[in-house]
Amino acid sequence: MNKQSIQKSAASGMVFGIIVIFFALIGFTVVISGLIQKALGQSLGVGQMPSTSSFLIFLGLLGIWNGWRASRQDKHETLNTKKVLGRSTIAGLVAGVLVMVYALIVGVLDNRGINLRTYLSQLSSESVRFFLFNQTIVVGILIHVFYSTLMAVVGGFLALASERSRERVKSTRESIQKWSQDHWLGKLQGNPYVSYVLMGVVLLLLVLLPRTWGAYWNYVMGTVGIYVLLGLGLNIIVGFSGQLVLGYVAFFAIGAYTFALTTSPEPHNLVWNFWIALGVAVLAAALSGILIGLPIMRLRGDYLAIVTLGFGEIIRILLRSDILKDFTMGPRGVRNIAGPTLFGRSFTTDVDFMYLIILAVLLSIFLARRWQESSIGRAWLAISQDETVAQATGVNTQKYKLLALSLGAAFAGLGGALFASRNQFTGPEDHALMVSINVLVLVIVGGMGSIPGVILGAFTLKGLPEILREVENYRLLVFGALLVVMMIIRPEGLWPARRPKLEVPVGQDNEPVHLPATVGGEK
Amino acid sequence: MKTVLEARQVSKIFGGLVAVNKVDLVVPEGSIASIIGPNGAGKTTLFNCISGFYTPELGDVLFNGRKIQGMLTDKVAAMGIARTYQNIRLFKSMTAVENVMVGFEPHLKHGWITAMIKTPGYVKEQKHIVNEASRLLHYVGLAGLGDNLALNLPYGAQRRLEIARALANQPKLLLLDEPTAGMNPQETDVMKDFIRQIRDDLGITIILIEHDMRVVMNISDQISVLDYGQKIAEGNPKEIQANPRVIEAYLGPGAAALSEKYRREKTHDA
Repeated sequence: MNKQSIQKSAASGMVFGIIVIFFALIGFTVVISGLIQKALGQSLGVGQMPSTSSFLIFLGLLGIWNGWRASRQDKHETLNTKKVLGRSTIAGLVAGVLVMVYALIVGVLDNRGINLRTYLSQLSSESVRFFLFNQTIVVGILIHVFYSTLMAVVGGFLALASERSRERVKSTRESIQKWSQDHWLGKLQGNPYVSYVLMGVVLLLLVLLPRTWGAYWNYVMGTVGIYVLLGLGLNIIVGFSGQLVLGYVAFFAIGAYTFALTTSPEPHNLVWNFWIALGVAVLAAALSGILIGLPIMRLRGDYLAIVTLGFGEIIRILLRSDILKDFTMGPRGVRNIAGPTLFGRSFTTDVDFMYLIILAVLLSIFLARRWQESSIGRAWLAISQDETVAQATGVNTQKYKLLALSLGAAFAGLGGALFASRNQFTGPEDHALMVSINVLVLVIVGGMGSIPGVILGAFTLKGLPEILREVENYRLLVFGALLVVMMIIRPEGLWPARRPKLEVPVGQDNEPVHLPATVGGEK
Repeated sequence: MKTVLEARQVSKIFGGLVAVNKVDLVVPEGSIASIIGPNGAGKTTLFNCISGFYTPELGDVLFNGRKIQGMLTDKVAAMGIARTYQNIRLFKSMTAVENVMVGFEPHLKHGWITAMIKTPGYVKEQKHIVNEASRLLHYVGLAGLGDNLALNLPYGAQRRLEIARALANQPKLLLLDEPTAGMNPQETDVMKDFIRQIRDDLGITIILIEHDMRVVMNISDQISVLDYGQKIAEGNPKEIQANPRVIEAYLGPGAAALSEKYRREKTHDA
């Protein structure tokens, strides 16, 4: 074994050791062991520590991963037993020793009766003992070292086995693919009715699901829907036209407040019809997009980001302040916002609202797609790629950038109005910076400029945390980890945008094409 | 002959550096005019003054008799001046056809509302520009490559695509900034013929920045030589080749005499 290989193995071990220590420090070890225990079908009471065996499973998985990674250092080399054994043992030992040192420190401190929770809120005496497998310190740390090494070796041999069997896996996979292509998938792909059937199924689900899955899921999915609206809007601004706007929440706030102030009995007693107020809210947001856009048209990139960031904060602070208290109710927010009505009937159950949001989302997807595919979408894309050249090619960049801002803002206005109406309340804290960041992140995670990507991103970032209630405290951790992993694996987003195929055949290849004196033809 | 472009005493100053110094340029309709000069002579800066990237501090730029300095580049493009770039600047993540379609932008009549409803007029216009863009791609020799992303095209194709995009603007004046840079002799010859063909087929006036003297001397009707921002010579290829100031600008002081001596020896031998 050469020096470089040893170094790499040790580095892998360090990384995994640090990960384990980090998870232990934030209490993640306990949570994930609890999840494993539940997944195995065993019950776990609130506040009860999970069993040692589930912790061992978690550690074992990490250890195997460690050994796997350490063994497969170079794609192009062939592994042998000696290499694998050496590398995985080093990686496992290094990780184990790191963890051992940590366990020793916290174990001794805890034994002396020092309350570690004063410093790190997750390190209760219970969790420290849990980390030591409920054994004495010496036994616990020895188990850690031994177990880590053992599992790394297992991982190493798994890597070896997978490499040995790779050829067979590949040929099996290919034959399965070929079989499915020949028998059903190939036939399905060419059939236009498949997409109709799929659309029908999706529509049927959209109609049936809100009725059947209950108020809680309607609430969660309603939030996801509103974020899809926001994402689609910001996608027009950031994804299509390439302007990095960080104060997107301002348009959301303007939509929500316009709707609130025109339908609530307090403070102005304007009780407008729901649909008129909705339209006015969308228009107000679109108009604010133009008004903000005009002075900042010349800014690009990070300057634009900072100015719009400030703008978002200004709106929130204004709404909180005493200056506008008589007009917007200040920090108390606006209450008793009207729900939707249809032909004089109230229309406010959770199911009705879900339908309303679904309708708004479908409409927005339709509009966003139309614009994306049109020459407006092309002009936006050109601006986002090279604004200077786009302008010199004849694109009126000012017009198109303003258009993108105001259309994107209109989507946010719609989202804001629906949000306010559903909650029957809106206050300044609904419109904090975090909303802008969340929407931007979901656009980036989904894939900039991609409409299906935005929808996927909204489900991932707003729906997934709801599904993963168990790890809610660690939402931001998962959030961050997801972002990092995604940026490494899929830097273009979960569902990146594709360009359409447009070229039409002209003449034969060797036949000259006669262009008239004016190249573009009719003018 | 009608004058398409006229520059009068154009000067562009960056801080203390006079990049273009009182340059006059008259380009007649339907001609191919070349601008040559050593590196840093101010050729591209002059181009940028003409196409609206820069506003000259002094002097006028007249296009078909109208002053265009200080106008935004999209207005200049809509008036009929299109250009390409020294370092290729395509919309990289768009397909070749889409790149050309963006070039039709100044002549489109339909906006975001008709695009939203997809009115028949809008659909017809879109079909028309897809067709025209495909035709243009065919014209520049890129037929069948239209659905590739611009960044995936080979170098020579990218240069041609830039020209196709510029032609989509339906220009009366085409500014080509080093169209043969980085090409081998065969490719250069093809490009040279192609430039002449554009002028002959489409009647477009062309101004060319070029370092390859075989190209310049072969296709230019008129050559202007810049050095240190000043125009030091102007004339047809023959006059420029014999001009001692040009030779010194390129090869250093004293070179003109050497070159004269060399020429005489050659004729003497013959």
